[in-house]
Amino acid sequence: MPMFKAPFNGYSVKFSPFYESRLAVATAQNFGILGNGRIHVLELSPGGPGVTESIAFDTADAVYDVCWSESHDSVLIAAIGDGSVKIYDTALPPPSNPIRSFQEHAREVHSVDYNPTRRDSFLTASWDDTMKLWAMDRPASIRTFKEHAYCVYQAVWNPKHGDIFASASGDCTLRIWDVREPGSTMIIPAHDFEILSCDWNKYDDCVLATSSVDKTIKVWDVRSYRAPLAVLNGHGYAVRKVKFSPHRRNLIASCSYDMTVCLWDYMVEDALVGRYDHHTEFAVGIDMSVLVEGLMASTGWDELVYVWQQGMDPRAS
Amino acid sequence: MATHQQTQPPSDFPPSPPHENSSISEAANEVQQGSETAKLESVFKNSEPIREDQIQNAIKFLSHPRVRGSPVIHRRSFLERKGLTKEEIDEAFRRVPDPPPSPQTTVTSQEAVSNVQPQGQMQAMQPAPPPVVMIPPPSLLSRFRWYHALLAVGVLAASGAGTAVFVKRSLIPRLKSWVRKIMSEEESDPLEKADAKPGLAEEAVAAAKAASAAASDVARVSQEMMKAKSEERKNFEELMQLLGVQVQEMKSLSNNIRYLERNSNNLPKVYSANQEVYSGLAKTPAERRPYANGSNVDYDTRSARSTSPPAPPADSSQPPHPKSYMDIMSMIQRGEKPSNIREINDMPPNPNQQLPNPRIAPKAKPWDYGQPPQDESSNGPWWQQKNPRSADFGYETTTARSIGIRNETSTTEPAAIQKQRSWVPPQPPPVVMPEAAEAIRRPKPQAKIDQEVVAAASDDQPGVSDELQKVTKFSESGGDGSGRLEITEIQEESQHQHIGQEGN
Repeated sequence: MPMFKAPFNGYSVKFSPFYESRLAVATAQNFGILGNGRIHVLELSPGGPGVTESIAFDTADAVYDVCWSESHDSVLIAAIGDGSVKIYDTALPPPSNPIRSFQEHAREVHSVDYNPTRRDSFLTASWDDTMKLWAMDRPASIRTFKEHAYCVYQAVWNPKHGDIFASASGDCTLRIWDVREPGSTMIIPAHDFEILSCDWNKYDDCVLATSSVDKTIKVWDVRSYRAPLAVLNGHGYAVRKVKFSPHRRNLIASCSYDMTVCLWDYMVEDALVGRYDHHTEFAVGIDMSVLVEGLMASTGWDELVYVWQQGMDPRAS
Repeated sequence: MATHQQTQPPSDFPPSPPHENSSISEAANEVQQGSETAKLESVFKNSEPIREDQIQNAIKFLSHPRVRGSPVIHRRSFLERKGLTKEEIDEAFRRVPDPPPSPQTTVTSQEAVSNVQPQGQMQAMQPAPPPVVMIPPPSLLSRFRWYHALLAVGVLAASGAGTAVFVKRSLIPRLKSWVRKIMSEEESDPLEKADAKPGLAEEAVAAAKAASAAASDVARVSQEMMKAKSEERKNFEELMQLLGVQVQEMKSLSNNIRYLERNSNNLPKVYSANQEVYSGLAKTPAERRPYANGSNVDYDTRSARSTSPPAPPADSSQPPHPKSYMDIMSMIQRGEKPSNIREINDMPPNPNQQLPNPRIAPKAKPWDYGQPPQDESSNGPWWQQKNPRSADFGYETTTARSIGIRNETSTTEPAAIQKQRSWVPPQPPPVVMPEAAEAIRRPKPQAKIDQEVVAAASDDQPGVSDELQKVTKFSESGGDGSGRLEITEIQEESQHQHIGQEGN
């Protein structure tokens, strides 16, 4: 079964940009309220459908997000609930890990994203209303971006422009930033409720999607940001994560507290093109592989990680 | 909007303040990508002209007395949510006359230039008649003269009346006695003198008695009032208790309903999240861990924030949280710690641990080619193999196979289910030689690089081979990180087109 059962509740899942069969999972004990955390590195077994763990790292606090380095194939970065950002080398055994720990954020770090074009820096977004820019070889953050009035839930780099990124916050605004500018360059009041996630269109560098507590996903073009390009309705509860496909221009994947993972094509009249309801608790993490077209992974509070090809049933063996 | 780009003034081109590490890369980027892309980057800025009507609205908002008492960050956040740009917000803040640094300065701001606002606030602030001693500020004297005059007249009248009473009561008898004394001086009877004094004393005693009677009256009345108040309070508390009992019952009722809903199979589910309660629960910034990072103060503000958000949606039911989640939440709120938490030391054992040498060069992204890639044939391990009808994303599969417990789409997609019955997705073909498949997949990029290096000597394009050598040098030396990465990045990308295309 292409499924992995973790001991803790899943929070985030990310495919490796170097190895097709490798992915990392961020998990947290007790639903992330209070307790330890663990990062699993999973391998897709080549022989038959199956997912096995190759290495795991324990943390004192919940792991809310994990991302792979784009410059070093064995390195991953974790966003921890105690406000620290930790770097792990999966080629070293757990007792030699982590290789770095940066304690700068005042509150939980909710997301981490590695720059896919420059490959030298990464961003963290935290509940302390700020985001920080880091490089792996530096002992402290390079910059702090402090403008949001509430928790920042996600910061995502633009896939074409290495200096541009977007941030989604609980203050109901989506902001576009340029690291060369002192402050945000655009403020888009995208939703009337908290914005939990955002992602850029990989094939149209001016388009991005936001997902919110108001159960909708909105697709925006920064060139005409007063009104969204599309509003995607269909989820029954807050939409926790949204992701643009690395292989198809208009395809969006999303996961929600209604326990489903949905696929959308926002250029089409009837936008919902797929729905998977394999999770039995909140679905909170989702990723689409950059190396293998159509490969998706999801995780949720039911402590399960599923990996499947679009069009297949995630629970099929 | 194409016109949008064309109207960008050239001076908008970045970069004025160069990013620390990236000055080299920016130069390279500009050269490589050309002015077209540089123009595009300025698309990520607001370039609309400042809208005067929005600024006027913002000024009205900022001038409201209630808004003036709120923190600046809340005001900014509100205006941002209304869609104002940074420039418009800054302009509005600049135009509003007194941006008070703290909420307590509302009193001092009354001494300001405009008369309208101070009048309104003075009247609100002034209690019932001011003491006679108060001297109003001279600038306001002109407006209040009539009012002040009325008060003065009233006070004078009262004092006059008081004086009259006092005179009548005490001075005139004294006068009388003095007159009598003079008249009786001829008789020179000391007794009469003594009479006058007891007379005065009696008067005083009588006055004192009257005063004490009045005081006792007042005391009695106030006591009765206190009794009445305490009775009222008792009633109120009884009422509160009853209400509390009712609330408890309703809570348990709603819990039961929720439990029933979760277990029921066939009810159409029209869930929607209650944003207030939900955001407090699922995100849990307010309830999470009472001892995190010394940020206890934040929890009060956070919980205050999460309970006073913008208006909740009309249909309000929160997403059903797992039962164990509610258990843990209630444990935390009671102050207990769940028992399964271990003490873990997750600090780096060697903080100076070297970053590892990357064994693989970074791969090009599928979107770097500009166009989405074509569909490939399904060969290789199971995760590569696609449903031949994957263009439909196979939602029929899922809806048909799930037993229909939580299948809200089944009622809305009957066509899909019928389709499903007529077509069964084929099983993915088994992998005949898994090791071969693995061998084909994994080491290829590395092998390719080695091959290319070997072939470099005989390569037609010396430029490409130079890049190759740079790439291999980079990966071997373990990546200094910043500088070399930027320089070689552009060449890498074009290089990886070769590798990538062959790899796929």
